Amino acid sequence: MNSLVVANVKQRPLRTALSMAGVALGVILVVLVAGLVRGVSRDTTQRQMNVDSELRVYIDNVNIASGANPLQMPRRYADAIKNGVQPTPEYPDITPRPPVAGVKEVTPVGLWVQNSVGGIGFETVEGIDWESLTKTTGLHIIEGRPINDSRQPEPEFEVIVDRYYTEVNKGLDGKPVRIGSTITALNREFTVVGIYEPSVMSRIKIPLYTMQELTGGADIADNCSFLMVKCERPELADEVRETIKKYYPGLKVIRTDEIPALYSQGLVGLDIFLNVVIAVSVIISTMIILLAMYTTIIERTREIGILKGLGASKPFIVWAIEKEATLISALGVAVGFLISVAGKYFIEASTRLRIDLEWRWLLLGAGMGLVCGLAGALYPAIRAANLDPVEAISYE
Amino acid sequence: MESVLETIKLEMVYRVGKVDVPALRGVDLQAGAGEYVAIMGPSGCGKSTFLHIVGGMLQPTAGQVMIDGEDLTRMTDSQRTDLRRRKIGFVFQRFNLFPTLSAEGNLKLAERIHHKSNGSDSKRRRDLLRLLKLEDKIHHKPLEMSGGEQQRVALARAVINRPAILLADEPTGNLDSENSQIVLDMLRDLNKEFGQTIVMITHNPEAALRADRIIEMRDGHVVGSRRNQ
Ligand SMILES: Nc1ncnc2c1ncn2[C@@H]1O[C@H](COP(=O)(O)OP(=O)(O)OP(=O)(O)O)[C@@H](O)[C@H]1O
Ligand SMILES: [Mg+2]
Repeated sequence: MNSLVVANVKQRPLRTALSMAGVALGVILVVLVAGLVRGVSRDTTQRQMNVDSELRVYIDNVNIASGANPLQMPRRYADAIKNGVQPTPEYPDITPRPPVAGVKEVTPVGLWVQNSVGGIGFETVEGIDWESLTKTTGLHIIEGRPINDSRQPEPEFEVIVDRYYTEVNKGLDGKPVRIGSTITALNREFTVVGIYEPSVMSRIKIPLYTMQELTGGADIADNCSFLMVKCERPELADEVRETIKKYYPGLKVIRTDEIPALYSQGLVGLDIFLNVVIAVSVIISTMIILLAMYTTIIERTREIGILKGLGASKPFIVWAIEKEATLISALGVAVGFLISVAGKYFIEASTRLRIDLEWRWLLLGAGMGLVCGLAGALYPAIRAANLDPVEAISYE
Repeated sequence: MESVLETIKLEMVYRVGKVDVPALRGVDLQAGAGEYVAIMGPSGCGKSTFLHIVGGMLQPTAGQVMIDGEDLTRMTDSQRTDLRRRKIGFVFQRFNLFPTLSAEGNLKLAERIHHKSNGSDSKRRRDLLRLLKLEDKIHHKPLEMSGGEQQRVALARAVINRPAILLADEPTGNLDSENSQIVLDMLRDLNKEFGQTIVMITHNPEAALRADRIIEMRDGHVVGSRRNQ
């Protein structure tokens, strides 16, 4: 940096401050919004992971053709994974296996896909074992009561739904769904006995036993569609997965957070929003630098004429102006960083939002600020370099 | 005497809208190395136009300009800029210093443009400042100096890189007679001590008498040339 550039930056403190503010604003927008998007999505994923199980276990090589019974996985795998397995008189050929280390709870889930009530699209109904499901997930009843296991002689069809379901659906009586409403599942009428939170997988949950009864008879096969496995600690997920695969090669194990549909859906919109914010920031910063440098060029027309009189080449003049813009942008980036960090702590202290200031986004913000400075100054710089020397030097 | 500046049939026509304004109508002029030439003539006769062309700031309509053996009229715009950097020093009626830089800063900037690298000749700078009696003004900004002092700094800046020719367009036009005298003395000293070739436009006959030779212009022509004693 040479003295002319520094002197020029100091010459007009207000202009310098405004240009810096323009660049800083862009940096703050990008860094904070990106941090917010990251923070919110991490928060959401974490919350989801807190209530969901880490692993899903399917039986391999079962191709569920449409119309076939979706309950193809013997439920006893759940017990085998949690408690180990020994040969029994019923299954004398079984290889004994110890319990899978690190497993806290396993719950069987039956999954039934039906036409949506309105006839558009599909909805899924889950058959659950309430007892083990609550130990596997953070599911709890916020209104009403849990479903019974429906094993009494004369089964009543009971269902629980989540809050969202009650808000957007109507019961068979045409009124919004509430406790006591009747809804259709598996072509039968079910009575809503409870509303649960949080939303995990299907919104309609009925007893697994009922699902088995309605799809062929629980006495024929005690089956489910898949198992949910909760580990003692989330970090154990990979270890547990390997052990299950080793003990039971016929099973397929998937990490829940690797099922993209579950977690990314809500975040796509945020990514688009982030891109829009970046674009707007780039435009703001570039325009402000452009305007600031443009007025500077006009104000200093005579000085540019003097430079030309001294034999300064076009690249020299362009570079002198670009250096000035770079210095201003760099200061703006620094100010933007400081305000972003302060903003993070302020927002986190006064709201429940979380902001992750990632290096990636700080670097992007810095790069963006500098590039906008260079780009915004380019047009004024080229104009300055192309000024007619005689006209410039006699400019009033 | 070997000539540092030579113009041959130099013509310049300005185009203003659809009207042609002839400013130079075939100027033939020579200045030898170390010569001090004054140009006089009525307002609008083409003196500044001539100086701007010779300094490479303006492309003539026709004719030739040789500066220290290089033909300026055959050069591209950037080549003329480069010639200006290497061989020309300008002083104008308005002092034309960078207002944000000190006297020293103004000199250093000229050196930086000239050398491209950052090397600067501090002995040359000191000698010049002593000659121009500016030693104690070195850290002053233009607004903190008198008009005479500013013009002396401009003079120092114009010759700091040892240009082949110093071109001065009414350098005393904005100065009172006392400061004019000082600046004219400085030009004389630069010419004597450093052998500086000078072409100076002036309206002041007294100033012109300090030069080696006076060239008279009228209506885009050179109409006379006489040597001073
Ligand atoms: N940029 C321009 N466009 C059009 N005409 C111009 C331009 N510059 C100068 N002229 C015209 O060219 C002629 C010569 O002008 P020039 O400035 O060279 O005169 P000068 O001898 O320096 O006058 P002065 O003593 O008043 O400075 C004048 O008629 C002037 O009006
Ligand atoms: Mg003139």
